[in-house]
Amino acid sequence: MTELALTRRHFFSRTSTGIGIAALASLLKESGHAAGAGGLPGLPHFPPTARRVIYLFQFGGPSQIDLFDPKPGLRKLQGADLPAEIRMGQRLTTMTAGQSGFPVAASLFRFAQHGRSGAWVSELLPFTAKVADHLCLIRSLHTEQINHDPGITFLQTGFQLAGRPSIGAWLSYGLGSENADLPAFVVMTSRGSALGDQPLADRLWGSGFLPSKYQGVKFRPGADPVLFLSNPPGLDDAARRRFLAELKDFNLAKLEETGDPEIAARIAQYEMAYRMQTSVPELTDLSQEPESTFELYGPDARKPGTFAANCLLARRLAERGVRFIQLFHRGWDQHQKLPENIRMQCLATDQPSAALIQDLKQRGLLDDTLVVWGGEFGRTVYCQGTLTETDYGRDHHPRCFTIWMAGGGVKPGIAYGSTDDFSYNITENPVHVHDLHATLLHCLGIDHTKLTYKFQGRHFRLTDVHGRVVRDILA
Amino acid sequence: MKLAWGLLVGASVLPASVEFNRDIRPILSDKCFVCHGPDAAARKVPFRLDGEAAAKADLGGRFAIVPGDPARSQLILRITADKPALRMPPVYTGAGLEPREIDLLRRWVAEGARWEAHWSFLPPKQAPLPEVKQRDWPRNAVDYFVLARLEHEGLKPSAEAPRAALIRRASLDVTGLPPTPEEVDAFLRDTAPGSYERLLDRLFASPRYGERMAARWLDAARYADTNGYQTDAERSMWRWRDWVIDAFNRNMPFDRFAIEQIAGDLLPHATLEQKIATGFNRNHRGNSEGGIVPEEYLAEYAMDRVETASTVFLGLTLGCARCHNHKYDPFTQKEYYQLFAYFNNIPELGRYLKYGNTPPYIQAPTAGQQARIRRLEEELAAAEGRFAAMRPAVEEQQRMWERNLPSAVDWAPGHKLSVHLPLDRTARFDGRRIVEAGDQGGFGFYSKFTVAAWIRADGANGAIVTRAEDKPDGEGWGLYLEDGKLQVNLVKRRLDDAIRVETRERVEPGRWRFVSMSYDGSRVATGVRIWIDGRPCELDVLVDAINQDFRVREPLRIGGGGGPGPRFRGFIGDVRIYSRVLSEEEIGVLALARPLGEIAALPAARRSAAEAAKLRTAFLESFAPEEARSAWRAVRDAREARDRYVETVPTVMVMEELPEPRDTFVLIRGAYDRPGEKVARGVPKALPPLPPGAPDNRLGLARWLAGKDNPLTARVAVNRFWQMFFGAGLVKTVEDFGSQGEAPSHPELLDWLAAEFMRTGWDIKGIQKTILLSAAYRQSSVVTAEMAARDPENRLLARGPRLRLPAEILRDQALLASGLLVEKLGGPSVRPYQPAGLWSELGGSDYVPDKGEGLYRRSLYTFWKRTAPPPFMAAFDSALRESCTVRESRTNTPLQALTLMNDVTFVEAARALAARAIRESEAGAARRLERAFRLVLGRRPAAGELDRLGRALAFYRDHFHSRRADAEKLISLGETPRPTEIEATELAAYTAVASLILNLDETLNKE
Repeated sequence: MTELALTRRHFFSRTSTGIGIAALASLLKESGHAAGAGGLPGLPHFPPTARRVIYLFQFGGPSQIDLFDPKPGLRKLQGADLPAEIRMGQRLTTMTAGQSGFPVAASLFRFAQHGRSGAWVSELLPFTAKVADHLCLIRSLHTEQINHDPGITFLQTGFQLAGRPSIGAWLSYGLGSENADLPAFVVMTSRGSALGDQPLADRLWGSGFLPSKYQGVKFRPGADPVLFLSNPPGLDDAARRRFLAELKDFNLAKLEETGDPEIAARIAQYEMAYRMQTSVPELTDLSQEPESTFELYGPDARKPGTFAANCLLARRLAERGVRFIQLFHRGWDQHQKLPENIRMQCLATDQPSAALIQDLKQRGLLDDTLVVWGGEFGRTVYCQGTLTETDYGRDHHPRCFTIWMAGGGVKPGIAYGSTDDFSYNITENPVHVHDLHATLLHCLGIDHTKLTYKFQGRHFRLTDVHGRVVRDILA
Repeated sequence: MKLAWGLLVGASVLPASVEFNRDIRPILSDKCFVCHGPDAAARKVPFRLDGEAAAKADLGGRFAIVPGDPARSQLILRITADKPALRMPPVYTGAGLEPREIDLLRRWVAEGARWEAHWSFLPPKQAPLPEVKQRDWPRNAVDYFVLARLEHEGLKPSAEAPRAALIRRASLDVTGLPPTPEEVDAFLRDTAPGSYERLLDRLFASPRYGERMAARWLDAARYADTNGYQTDAERSMWRWRDWVIDAFNRNMPFDRFAIEQIAGDLLPHATLEQKIATGFNRNHRGNSEGGIVPEEYLAEYAMDRVETASTVFLGLTLGCARCHNHKYDPFTQKEYYQLFAYFNNIPELGRYLKYGNTPPYIQAPTAGQQARIRRLEEELAAAEGRFAAMRPAVEEQQRMWERNLPSAVDWAPGHKLSVHLPLDRTARFDGRRIVEAGDQGGFGFYSKFTVAAWIRADGANGAIVTRAEDKPDGEGWGLYLEDGKLQVNLVKRRLDDAIRVETRERVEPGRWRFVSMSYDGSRVATGVRIWIDGRPCELDVLVDAINQDFRVREPLRIGGGGGPGPRFRGFIGDVRIYSRVLSEEEIGVLALARPLGEIAALPAARRSAAEAAKLRTAFLESFAPEEARSAWRAVRDAREARDRYVETVPTVMVMEELPEPRDTFVLIRGAYDRPGEKVARGVPKALPPLPPGAPDNRLGLARWLAGKDNPLTARVAVNRFWQMFFGAGLVKTVEDFGSQGEAPSHPELLDWLAAEFMRTGWDIKGIQKTILLSAAYRQSSVVTAEMAARDPENRLLARGPRLRLPAEILRDQALLASGLLVEKLGGPSVRPYQPAGLWSELGGSDYVPDKGEGLYRRSLYTFWKRTAPPPFMAAFDSALRESCTVRESRTNTPLQALTLMNDVTFVEAARALAARAIRESEAGAARRLERAFRLVLGRRPAAGELDRLGRALAFYRDHFHSRRADAEKLISLGETPRPTEIEATELAAYTAVASLILNLDETLNKE
């Protein structure tokens, strides 16, 4: 018998106060605090195609023109002003609105078709290209936001101002947790390699107006993967176990005296805290991973806090049933020196992203795990700053950008939606951010119009009053 | 007398009689108003259900509602129709009616379909106290209402809580800190009548009261120490926070409290404090992200003000009317923008400054600082007095000096002259020549400086003096000639991160002209001035958005910088750069071409003012006898000492009015770039009009908000007080008193309290004391299994409150019990412990905890960074300060357990508590354990509890006895030095037990 199990028996056996195991368990159930429980009755609304999501957020606005949306015709137009009929008075950021011209900057990077599906992928992403047949590329995502903070807030919560729950918070509110020892919503961040490293904010994985227990729990590199996980120096496990046993006795006596069911919940939360003290270090300990894992994810996977290490951890979290795993990688904001900086970004993210797909696939997890890769907007075809033969920058572009999804019920090996010759406007199958959200919820068995929470007199939902499931991309 | 029973507790309960406001309006609102409600634009059909006349109108021979006849009422027929196509609400809305709701509607029609205006829009009235059976229970008016409801439900109130529990409950509620064991003992000993009231009086008089109340107000007012959004850099609003603490402590009447915060700046002869109060309206986030469209955020800020004020004072969700007419309550989109028009008339920037406060802001010295400024002013006056006394003699000396002055002698101000390049005025700048002057003039965006030069330009363009990258659109500062105009560029990014201004006037070529500019370090365009020939120029602002320092590693250049394009052609002479802002008079002096000696030769009457000034300042600065020069320098030094000090005092962002009101338009779908109909200021028609004679500005609005005719403000305020003490408001939806909000559980009690609040002159402490004096508040919080099932949220109040403490109280309690708490009212925010990396992982620099007392101040003073809130506060459901938050929330998570067990804050507190218990009690484990227990919980432990603590202590003594190194580690945590007089393993064992006490459920709750 493991030490943990012993401890649990110990917890439940020291009931000198007379409340039996069954009574406590039922109290916990009533108060909705039973470990591993949670979730709303009636959910999922229909059988899901994905049980969990790994969302690889690429913060800063990756350039679709240089990565996934090839426009070979632009070479001929290099340096020419973007035609007014393409721009159509579209609002620009004040970083470039005052520019005297909007010269077209063709991508410096070569594109080729890959896999049986023949997906076009830039030479910047050789590893991603190899898993192209698993990807569902959406080239026609669009948003209204032209700045980072409102842009990422919109992607994360369905609204551009702070205050609404993030996707992961909605999911843990709606579906609860599948693992009694780990949170339902885990977040990891990594910094970019390039210029343009935009800062993140805790509220991006916050619970907004939902109770705070649904907020994402941040896993961090280092000794304490979860804040305050480790016992203080000098207090070992034996001391902690005794502490918890004594605490439980006190609290059971209190429960008996006052009858407040919240005390039963408190007892359960201390127990889960203790279980996390074991389960989280076990989870983040990569020492048992075989060499082949690090070959797959690349050498950075050995460095805690890198995107590669986080991708590997994401797989380990997925294996353990964590519902929503979200990575944030910074550094995609290439207003200037784009070619040099996007290369560095891709070096750090391409291999691990592709490795995650392969790894999930080989473990049979890709079928019910939905992986999403993408940023908060795209970048302009026109150059910001000085255009030269080898250098250019690009401003924020909300009207079209590319993300990809894989696994968990989306069609593999397709490219959905298309853009005009300048990757400026969508010409076919637009997908709004609200539609992305609706589709994501759909994969998890949720009707996006029915997952609501009443606040300030309104029945709020992730998709506000919008959103449509993009059925064309569902497998 | 008829009593309205509030909210039904228990969803299955059907009421004895149907009440419109309690039973019917919520159904109509939630299920019908979206289409048949106030938002005309969204209505698919003209039929409306949100007003009696329309709902009962003749619809061409058919009626939606026929009072008394459900069978002929279309409303009932449609909600019970078998055919899906006929059935209301339509399936696609997803808003189905439950059988219980259908039943209620049918009964309501059958009983006559009596309509009532929405309760919260009617003025609160003090109803007579209801009859009760258990007459010896009520202690004041509150209890009659509570008891009447309980008796109606067939319930009995609970017994009074034990006195030790009562003092802890009241102390935590009123001061946010637990009582000391001595305070508990004194209260237990005081058996004379009125002891509980005396306790309350003591608690309300404590300055801790203001801190406790301010904590919740800060949540509502979305106070923070950073700007929010992307970079989220520091701002300074703590003077406003201290104003709030002070207002509560002085028991400022709530109407004044509201008026000063909404419009203190517009009060006649507004005081500094009244201006500081308006920081309330500036606590919203400010976006400084590069590339944003300023107009978009100007709209957001004004909206935030509208929504905060309407939530905090009116309990209304007016934000719903930002994009369309309100779906549920009688507010139009136009009315939203009429309110908006009160709040958008402020001279502010859409793009906030990245660092520090954004105008308008004021210097807000504390009382101590004001005293210091007064002293410095007195010193200045004294120096001026000494100099004035010498003046006749000095003037005589000057006349003597003037007579003997050789005509070639010249002079220019030398104070803080950092660069002087006379230059050869005959050496032509030919488009290639540049004078590089090395590492001088390296100013940044907080610098004060003045640049002056003589120029004779050949053309209309060219760089005069720069310290900037030598390429087009580069970074740095510079004075340029651009199309004949003088242009000052302070540039990080030319298009969107810069201050750029130019003169309207053009400098004609081919003539020697004296040009100069100054910048005062304010980071706004109004801080730049330009003069031609000593005359100030009118300026056009090209860009006013500097957010980063523009300092560069480039040499100072004359005639160049900014690339090959703008090379100067012509002549430049006598470049002077000062590291201060020169006065108007000094610029005039500098601009004089005529040498000092020549001026002296002129008869006094023929000298211009500038010439006279030149003689005078030259004499005083350089030529007068030492005694006069030093007296004159003393004046200057005293002035500078005062100015320097004044610059160090805190500032606070405040409200100001533009002289000419800004035009306001309905924004279609709430979008800043889609203006619709133009609107004038005004208040919603569903509420009473502005009081007669009220000014048509924010002050008028403030008086209306806090007026006795306003049916909402008093109710909303007392309801939040109630929430503070009982965990939930009488209206649980404290943020929504509209038709989607929950009906009050005790409507007449709410009204009684609201009316009493106004009747007593909005006496905050008074009304709170009334609540706390009630028998209802004093009940024991023990809950029976029956009541836990019947009324889990305790809305019927058959027991006292038992609630997990708010985040800040949990920490403050541990600090107080352990003796670590440093009590000091107000001041800049502090940085207690926080694990390393939490800020830098998001981007930017990391958090640096304070040393010393900053670690142990009350949590209200903890530095609040919006994008990375203090982890302790965030773990315990604190409001996040992004936007107005008034609803208290409590969750129960494993992260809370981890925090309380392992955060250094609590481990150090446990050790300090252990040491204190050992030090403060006689030898013997039982005494010490009891002391530790009582320091936290006030009451004495029961024998069984003490035994349990004793057993735990025995275990830990044994445990650490064989682990001395562990013991040393555990007791060395934290900044306070570990006490050396207590043996390490003994202290570690007590520390473990103290930590246990700090984690007890009872400790985490008020009960």
